[in-house]
Amino acid sequence: MMNQGLNVTNHGRQIAGRMALVAGCAALLGWIGSPDAAFAQDAAAAAPTAYRDLPYIGSRNLVWIIAQLHLLLAGFVLGVPIFAWLCEVVGWKSGDKRYDKLAKEFTKLLTSSYATTALFGGILLFLLIGFYPKLMAYLTDIFFPSFLVYCALFLVETATLYLYWYGWDAMSEGNGKKFHIFLGFLLNVFAFFIMIVPNSWATFQASPVVIAEGTDFERAWAATWNPTWWPVNIHRIIANVVLGGYICGAYAGIRYLSAKSTEERYHYDWMGYVGNFIGVFGLLPLPFAGYWLMREIYQYNQQMGITLMGGFLSWLFILQAMLIGVLFLGSNYYFWMGITHRIPGSEGQYRKPIMAMLIILLLCLAVWMTPHSLVASLEEAQKMGGTHHPLLGVFGVMSAKMTVSNLMVLVTFMSFIMYWRAGKEDTAGWAKVAKSVMGAVLVLAGLAVIVLGVWGYFVPAIIRINYFSTSQVAIVIFVMLTITPLTALLLKSAKTTTEMVWGKMPPRAGYSLVLNAVMVILLMTLMGYARSSSRVHWHVYGVMRDSSQYAFSPALGYAAALMALNTFLFCLLVAFIFWVATMGDKAKAAAGAKGSPEPGRIPAMAGGAQALDGAVADRSEHPGQV
Amino acid sequence: MSEVVKLQLIGLCVVGLGVVILLFIKGQFLRVIGFVAIVLGLFSLVALAVPQMASLPPAEESINIADIKTPTDMATIGQKIFFSKGQCALCHSIGPSESARCPDLKGIGAKLSREFIFESLTEPQAYLYLDYRHEGIPKEYPARMPYINKNPIGLSKNEILSVIAFLQQMSGEPISVNPSELDLPRATPAPVKAADAGTVAVAQAR
Repeated sequence: MMNQGLNVTNHGRQIAGRMALVAGCAALLGWIGSPDAAFAQDAAAAAPTAYRDLPYIGSRNLVWIIAQLHLLLAGFVLGVPIFAWLCEVVGWKSGDKRYDKLAKEFTKLLTSSYATTALFGGILLFLLIGFYPKLMAYLTDIFFPSFLVYCALFLVETATLYLYWYGWDAMSEGNGKKFHIFLGFLLNVFAFFIMIVPNSWATFQASPVVIAEGTDFERAWAATWNPTWWPVNIHRIIANVVLGGYICGAYAGIRYLSAKSTEERYHYDWMGYVGNFIGVFGLLPLPFAGYWLMREIYQYNQQMGITLMGGFLSWLFILQAMLIGVLFLGSNYYFWMGITHRIPGSEGQYRKPIMAMLIILLLCLAVWMTPHSLVASLEEAQKMGGTHHPLLGVFGVMSAKMTVSNLMVLVTFMSFIMYWRAGKEDTAGWAKVAKSVMGAVLVLAGLAVIVLGVWGYFVPAIIRINYFSTSQVAIVIFVMLTITPLTALLLKSAKTTTEMVWGKMPPRAGYSLVLNAVMVILLMTLMGYARSSSRVHWHVYGVMRDSSQYAFSPALGYAAALMALNTFLFCLLVAFIFWVATMGDKAKAAAGAKGSPEPGRIPAMAGGAQALDGAVADRSEHPGQV
Repeated sequence: MSEVVKLQLIGLCVVGLGVVILLFIKGQFLRVIGFVAIVLGLFSLVALAVPQMASLPPAEESINIADIKTPTDMATIGQKIFFSKGQCALCHSIGPSESARCPDLKGIGAKLSREFIFESLTEPQAYLYLDYRHEGIPKEYPARMPYINKNPIGLSKNEILSVIAFLQQMSGEPISVNPSELDLPRATPAPVKAADAGTVAVAQAR
């Protein structure tokens, strides 16, 4: 009976998911169909409606909230398949079934989260058509062919997701597994295209290009290929990996905090480790993608770049520095806790390097957060000779900030390598040489980044931006590309001296995972506001002016309150999705527990399963690493 | 009470609520919610502590043909159109620029006749412009010149003449376009007031 009930529940959920997807597509088709109606209205009325408003909350605030939730959910449903696919590949390659189970359980989330995302997409579409008919007609006129492509992509994405999810057990061995992994790859390819199509609409608003005569397709393609399209595509795909990883970490953190049994603590500790690992994996190259985007914005329109970095949005980047700084600190803190609590006897061994890294990170963060112009009273400003502090003002410029951000990436990378190597002893004959090379590369790279940063003060801005900053980025990437394979080769033949013990992390580890996820979500909301506000009073920059009562960009405090609200609502939505997705497993686990004398069975969401219960005890002392 | 103070009070209440939850509630999920509330509240308070600058839109300008008395007036209006409705600056620069996707227009008013410029704007494919700013065979510019008098830009004859006046002026040339060439608005019920009604919005795209 219970199984029947669960089947009905699952079936109902699938139907609901499909209906929501259909609703989303119908909404999109409604949008596509809307121009005709708009034109008919144009003919009838002399002045067609350009804007509509909503009392009390305001049309912009409502669109802001819904669009933000839709975008965050979209980031989640695009990030989770990447995360799941990576886990599946690792599980397939390493033979560790826990990764496969983890991948499957996160894929399960997709059915409900796709529906929720499509639902918010549909709501957003109706609101946009209702509140901004003139703008929507303009964009539809340009992008109509890409709407059709978008619909087609949704169809193939949904079909692939169904095959991927429902075929998991049927394609679990041999060539079937290979095909399943290929399906996962396809799922991510389609998801990537689903992301970049709407990116073209949004980036066109920020960096429009002139559209010449031609067919509808040629015009849409010309508008799609705008200067910030690819920088945003790359930045978002990496950010989605980060979001997927950290949300997995946060989920694991919450479940770890409320875990009742040793097995549960073991599994959620391990899951938190995997989530944090993938989050940091994506976080390291993210600043470079952000730099490329900013550079393209400056190249496209210097005024827009100045509005962002030196105009009314300049303080936003201090907040961004704070959030990124906390994220780096949180990720490193979790690594450090992992070293000291999961590897017995290592606390003393790693205390000094951890302390050194902490000091470097804090110093870098302090420099990054130093504003160019200080908030000072008239009297203070007179004493300083302006709003630029004679000493601190040096740290407020781009050269210093690029230097410290690169150093923070370097330190986090080393933290990650240290964790990777912890508890291992090199046995390869060339280990000493390799370690010397790695040490030399790291020290020289750190020095080169600092030298270029200081030198940057004495050269024209164009040289600093085009050569020095890009060289700093190239150096850090070189370090990663050199040390990562070397370490992997060394660890292949390394001897394990101390086994990792899972489930021993203190409760603050769980909170640090939650903190990291909140920081990533806040960062996404903050930078969304920055990207949108950089257009100032234009719907389409320099082309279509916003002549509504909301043409102004609100101050940071007001915007931050909305960002915090959006972050909170998104967290609740994700919690709801997790709750719904695991409801059946909990019921199954409860039913299984009644019929089994074994205490503390692991919920399937944790990567545990009845089939794995036997393996858990064996693996608890020998967990595989990524 | 100002908006900032109200938001600060809300932020403080959220942080306080989070602290209370952490102190008195034992349920782990609720405790995590309390923790998240503290983080979000603190973030809002920090954002409220930095200088609060909103970006206000400039007043929308309209052009009244009746106010255009001299060729210089036309050039002034042409400059506004060049950087807004005309979208010229999306691709063209005035002076050398790495990011320009089309020919540099510095001195163009001195190099080309007004008739040729008019034709270039309304019949852009009549002649092919090539980029010679590099070694080897000249290349086509990455962006094609659109028909300026058609959608989506759709400049009127008056607006195109004003842009030509601006191009000539910024090239140091005498402006050969005269306000008398401008089309006055027609077909209004009260011809005497036609000039008042004939405003042209500068920043409207369509």
